[in-house]
Amino acid sequence: MKRVIYTLAVLLMALSAGTAAAATHGPTSATKAAELRTGLNSLFREHIFLAAAATGAALDGREAEFKAAAAALDGNSVDIANAIGSVYGKDAGDAFLPLWRKHIGFVVDYTVGVATKDSAKADKAVSELIQYTQDFGAFLSAASPKLPKTVVADLVKHHVVTLKAVIDAQAAKDPARAYTAVRTAAAHMQMIADPLAETIVKQFPAKFAK
Amino acid sequence: MKWIAFVVCAWLAIGVSALVVGAASDAAVTVQLFKFRPDRLEIAKGTRVVWTNQDDITHTVTSGTPEKPERAFDVRLTGKGTSGAHEFSRTGVFPFFCERHPAMRGEVHVN
Repeated sequence: MKRVIYTLAVLLMALSAGTAAAATHGPTSATKAAELRTGLNSLFREHIFLAAAATGAALDGREAEFKAAAAALDGNSVDIANAIGSVYGKDAGDAFLPLWRKHIGFVVDYTVGVATKDSAKADKAVSELIQYTQDFGAFLSAASPKLPKTVVADLVKHHVVTLKAVIDAQAAKDPARAYTAVRTAAAHMQMIADPLAETIVKQFPAKFAK
Repeated sequence: MKWIAFVVCAWLAIGVSALVVGAASDAAVTVQLFKFRPDRLEIAKGTRVVWTNQDDITHTVTSGTPEKPERAFDVRLTGKGTSGAHEFSRTGVFPFFCERHPAMRGEVHVN
């Protein structure tokens, strides 16, 4: 009898140990790498939604709404810079923020150019945005040498093009086209966020071990 | 012949010394990840500051501030690995910045 009880106890211990192991090593989405990937995707998509809200309000002359959207957009910029700083260091985050804000300034210039039918201003803003893509590519490539400058620049160029499509549709008072363009622009941000997250995780494996 | 060898050796020695002195009086600043590193230098009068670009993009080292550019020196670093220098022959505080990325700023304190 004692032997049976002893055997049962051993079996129970083995079962509970197995359950604990499954709880520890089972599938989970709560990893630091997943947090980074979803975090970057959320921030970059939010950038599109808030930028579209700001340009839409600006083109419609809704000044109070434009100011509120612009402030929220800047909050998003600060969050993105903080995310960059949390990975590459505070210096990098500090350097990133003005660089990121710079492209928003060019988008504002483009919007003003379109709104005032000043094609020279709009063209200059587009040209500056295209040049900016090289700066952005250089920054991320310096931070993560595995990210080629030209590839990043091309991805950011596509971001510029998709955001420009939003503004053009808003200016044409075509809401159906504008919202379709917003979805396209937002979806494209995954093309930047995913490889960036993947590269960061590989570059700093210790930070994303779990 | 001995005399010629002596002159050549002496000339080489002077040249090497001059190079060593030149190197010793240089201060280095690296431009990396859109930042001057260090962004504040303390140097003695007569020191030459050499800026080297590690970013794959053009930066400038322009004296003054974005609000008030002076251009007493205006070094253009056209890409990764390029460098430029300026010798500081007066005492004082000399701010500098990148014209393409005005958030990039630095300061040289010459004693």
